[in-house]
Amino acid sequence: MEDWRRIDIDAYDPESGRLTADDLKPPYSHTVSLQELQPTIQQLRSYTSSGDFAAAVELFTTDPPYNADEQAKSQYFSGILEVLTQVRQVDIANIVKRLDRKQQDALIKYLYKGMSIPEGQKHGGILLAWFEKLTQVAGVNPIVHYLSDRRTV
Amino acid sequence: MLHLKPYNLLVQKTLTEALEAYNNGSPLTLDRIISDFDYTTLHITNDGTDKSNLLVSIRTKATQSCNESGNDLQGFLQAKFDEVPGLALSSAKKEAGYDFTITVDLSQITAQSIVQASLFKILVMSYPFYLAFGQSNALSQLNEIDQVEKSKEARAMVIKYRDDENIYIKPSFDRITVIFETIFQDETDKVFGKVFLQEFVDARKRNRSIQSAPQVLFSHEPPLEIQEVAQQHAHVAGAKKSTRRFITFVLFPRHYSSDELMFTSVSQLALFRNYFHYHIKCAKAYMHSRMRYRVDTFIKVLNRAKLDEETESDSRRTITGRKMVY
Amino acid sequence: MSQSLRPYLTAVRYSLQAALNLSNFSSQEVERHNRPEVEVDNTSAELLLQPMHIARNEHEQVLIEPSVNSVRMSIKVKQADEIEQILVHKFTSFLEQRAENFYVLRRVPVPGYSISFLITNKHTETMITEKLIEFIIDFMEEVDKEISEMKLFLNARARFAAEAYLEQFVY
Repeated sequence: MEDWRRIDIDAYDPESGRLTADDLKPPYSHTVSLQELQPTIQQLRSYTSSGDFAAAVELFTTDPPYNADEQAKSQYFSGILEVLTQVRQVDIANIVKRLDRKQQDALIKYLYKGMSIPEGQKHGGILLAWFEKLTQVAGVNPIVHYLSDRRTV
Repeated sequence: MLHLKPYNLLVQKTLTEALEAYNNGSPLTLDRIISDFDYTTLHITNDGTDKSNLLVSIRTKATQSCNESGNDLQGFLQAKFDEVPGLALSSAKKEAGYDFTITVDLSQITAQSIVQASLFKILVMSYPFYLAFGQSNALSQLNEIDQVEKSKEARAMVIKYRDDENIYIKPSFDRITVIFETIFQDETDKVFGKVFLQEFVDARKRNRSIQSAPQVLFSHEPPLEIQEVAQQHAHVAGAKKSTRRFITFVLFPRHYSSDELMFTSVSQLALFRNYFHYHIKCAKAYMHSRMRYRVDTFIKVLNRAKLDEETESDSRRTITGRKMVY
Repeated sequence: MSQSLRPYLTAVRYSLQAALNLSNFSSQEVERHNRPEVEVDNTSAELLLQPMHIARNEHEQVLIEPSVNSVRMSIKVKQADEIEQILVHKFTSFLEQRAENFYVLRRVPVPGYSISFLITNKHTETMITEKLIEFIIDFMEEVDKEISEMKLFLNARARFAAEAYLEQFVY
């Protein structure tokens, strides 16, 4: 028998008040599937190919699909990464300036996410350029929001 | 200290001291064991109660294999020690547990004899080299066709001077190939060694002033010259194969055209492994002290972050200079 | 400073500024304990905040794991070849052996990283946070410099030793 002294009895107590990572996620009414995101991804592509990056950034920073599953999120993100990496360095500052605070918060989430996966790390330099411009505009605020925000992208 | 000296400093010092004391009329009573590179032990002691004679004995790993290359190491050393006064290789007085013993007659020796005695280890190791020089000279006297043929037949000599590390010497009519087999025990040494070896290989190409130095090659596999000999030792090195390296020096006749040159070439080559590993260790030691310094500077930066216990503005002082306590 | 290093360090600086808002926090699990919440097996997810990855490229990364009373920061130092690998390993283990002098240094790095720092509320209470960040930024800059200098030095030394040895054969 396993050592009973080490059994964590609180884990069996539904009233213990402990929170798991899942408990912290805001309750979503439904989960967005990949199909529902497809049109947005298409829209991003067409903006990118026509060179209208400002509109593309505007689009994906507004109402990010927090309630999608992991797979859909990563698909969606690869579309975003494409946009982020194609913008010319000189244009970044202008695009960032046009974002409101909510959009800034969303953008920083995408930047941190990008730097945590190998595909994004390849373009580390560009993501860092976005990061720098964003902090020039908004300072440390979006990062603080990011830290405590349980809605992930 | 950039170069290693071929002679053993301790032996030299001991003998010089003994000579001085002897000349002053109060001969020393000696019984000293001295270690040298490559598992070499030297023993200096009085010859029984006779204080005017010293015995210097040597034991090295290389003796047996050196002797095998020509079977007359004894005679070779005898000749070498007979060149200078006061030294004699005596088989009668050979100390048990040692390979060779020389008697040093303090009433006769000169400074030159002392140097010769302190070169004991190098002399033992130089035997195969001298054989190779002799063979190479003999081969070069032959006619052109024989030169090539006989050179091919010439046997490579082996000096087993460490546990798994050997020196191979292969004479030919126009060159002598000296191959060092070395093993890096430490992972760091292996990487550092690679850097050093690469520089040895490139040094001659880069620096015009050392163009006439022997060519240096470096490989992971036994070079062709010694493949058959190396095969015999393959079982030994088997387990350590991945860390085995071969460094080849190609000596041209200009490196052994006179007795003096022969001697300098041999003594440098015999010390190659020591020199090489010595400099790896030096590099490590330097890095260590450098890191120590770097740690200090980091700590300084970090200490800047500490809050001062009290800053001048918020500590009030009385007229006598004492601190006010609230 | 090279072009891409500056934004990298800026990102680390801002992220640390945001993360280093620490407060004293007693353990919820064990009475009269006060422990860095990033380090303990945590059964309370609410104490951990979102981890931050900052990457310059695949080989140079920083991971900042914030929590309510402590921040763990791990650095992956660039290791282009065998020599740099050994030098980085030697250097970081040298530092880790002296961790007590560094207060904020962790003796063992987080897996996958070269070196880790653990900053707790005790540290931010006794040190000026800005200066602490300054130290870490300075550290990141210096480590890179140090490693490449040591590598150059090793080559120079090897070259010198080799030439000095071969010079003895020049007659």
